Amino acid sequence: MIRAHALTKRFATEKGQSRVAVDGIDFVVEPGRVTGFLGPNGAGKSTTMRMILGLDAPTSGTVSVNGHRYAAAPAPLREIGALLDAHAIHPGRSARDHLRWMAASNGIPTTRVGEVLELVGLEAVAGQRAGRYSLGMGQRLGIAAAMLGDPPVVVLDEPVNGLDPEGIRWVRTFARQLADEGRTVFISSHLMSEMALMADHLLVIGRGSILADCSMSEFMSDHAASYVRVKAPALGDVGNLLTGRGLEVSRVEDELRVVGLDASAVGELVFRHGLVLHELTLVLSSLEDAFMALTADSVEYHAATEPTATEPTATERARSGARR
Amino acid sequence: MTATLTESGSLVVAPDARRPGFVEALRAEWVKLRTVRSTWWTLIAAFVLGAGLTILMCWGNADWLASPEADESPGSFITWGMMIAQITAVVLGALVVTTEYGTGMIRSTFAAVPSRGRVLAAKSVVLVAVLFVVGTVTALAGYLGGNYFLDREGIGMALEGDVLRSMYGSGLFLAGIGLFTVAVGFLLRHTAGTISVVLALMLILGNMVNLVPGTFGEWLTKLMPGNAGSVVATPVSFNPDLLDAWTGFGVFVAEIAVLLAAAYVVLRRRDA
Repeated sequence: MIRAHALTKRFATEKGQSRVAVDGIDFVVEPGRVTGFLGPNGAGKSTTMRMILGLDAPTSGTVSVNGHRYAAAPAPLREIGALLDAHAIHPGRSARDHLRWMAASNGIPTTRVGEVLELVGLEAVAGQRAGRYSLGMGQRLGIAAAMLGDPPVVVLDEPVNGLDPEGIRWVRTFARQLADEGRTVFISSHLMSEMALMADHLLVIGRGSILADCSMSEFMSDHAASYVRVKAPALGDVGNLLTGRGLEVSRVEDELRVVGLDASAVGELVFRHGLVLHELTLVLSSLEDAFMALTADSVEYHAATEPTATEPTATERARSGARR
Repeated sequence: MTATLTESGSLVVAPDARRPGFVEALRAEWVKLRTVRSTWWTLIAAFVLGAGLTILMCWGNADWLASPEADESPGSFITWGMMIAQITAVVLGALVVTTEYGTGMIRSTFAAVPSRGRVLAAKSVVLVAVLFVVGTVTALAGYLGGNYFLDREGIGMALEGDVLRSMYGSGLFLAGIGLFTVAVGFLLRHTAGTISVVLALMLILGNMVNLVPGTFGEWLTKLMPGNAGSVVATPVSFNPDLLDAWTGFGVFVAEIAVLLAAAYVVLRRRDA
């Protein structure tokens, strides 16, 4: 279990001011399920993960793993396994040697190295220098390193980055299996579509604040707007009928979008009034759209071509984005 | 297996038979050091330069040193190559620290061993041990080869007294230089920066302070780390004004200690 309380991180900027990367967040990552940590780039995901691992010191607040600070863990790799980024590996060292030093540092038997290599399917190339690995192989090595101590808590920062579809499916199945074994699984991503298939629970972060902390299905029903698309020859009459019933109807080009009633009810209502329908479809907004809607205001670095570029602060944001 | 399932369905960590400590950190750093090629290349370079150049200098200067015109002692030549081999100690000292920052591996290191002081100490101990052994062996090889040519001119030296001291003194000197660079590496976190700063300090600045006039300049020359630490590595120093072997080495060790303390303080405070 991971527990954060009033966790805050400020960074000093070049102008001598401070920028809040993580703004007093509280959350609990429970065991036995996959918790997705979702947010746009620059939202504070990686900073939060580094604080969990004691790599960055919080400005204030606390974060604990299994009830204590990470640095206080007697054998950290046996408590929490982490994939921070695939480049946290010396390019001149082989995968096997990388895992060997990690095992040695925590008193983990060397036999475990072979086990985790097999687990991620890297045995055949374990003797090669890590610098020759593709991004996907690097990710697999990072996951092998995370599993070295057979930890009850697994933290993966953007694990599907650079993976091919087969690799993505593998990570998804693997995360599911870990959660089913009763482990705490905490996975960050900036891709909602990926999370939709992987996570049971969602923690959405934007500009350093938690925007949502709920189950995936709650998130869907709360944030993913759905509507019924209606096409008819007498669109005006159908529109009047529906608005007359107090429904929210909007006209977009040659279709009506009806919110607040399911498709069959709309169909029956229109039929009772003897009107003709050409199309009647329930349109579900994707999780991606829901995520975009939720984080729209909190996106740190908008592309300059987006409408928001007209805001006075947008150029400043773009500049700070370019600096990174 | 270290984790077990509780009734509530969550995994907890079973208490381990052995809590990993400094010995495990040492083992990890030892595995790291010997599993990259750069370590071996650097150590081979240390041996080839250290022993090879000593032998070359003794071969080339033996008849002059035996002649009445000689105004230098053969003792200044018998570990000559170590002055060049120190560069490889700087390179190795930098690499063990700065490549971790360059590749981001430092985060894996601190995730595995959260105690920053333990990481600093483990890296230091492993590097000092390796450089001491390699430095001493290199100096001995240089002595054996170089003394062969000196012997032929009748000016050979027995492996005793100051000559013997300069053998393990060479090991100590290289170890000290390596450790000095480790401290600078943790402060600067950048390979090229670290190597340039240390080499400039040891080789260039160490000689340039000679130009500072008066007693102040004399003392500055005596106290510069490269100068103070190098005397222990030679039976007779080229520069007679430097501190004597063990006083000089003591000053060098104190300077290293100050740098290491600074590195430790910064390392503890800084985000990885």
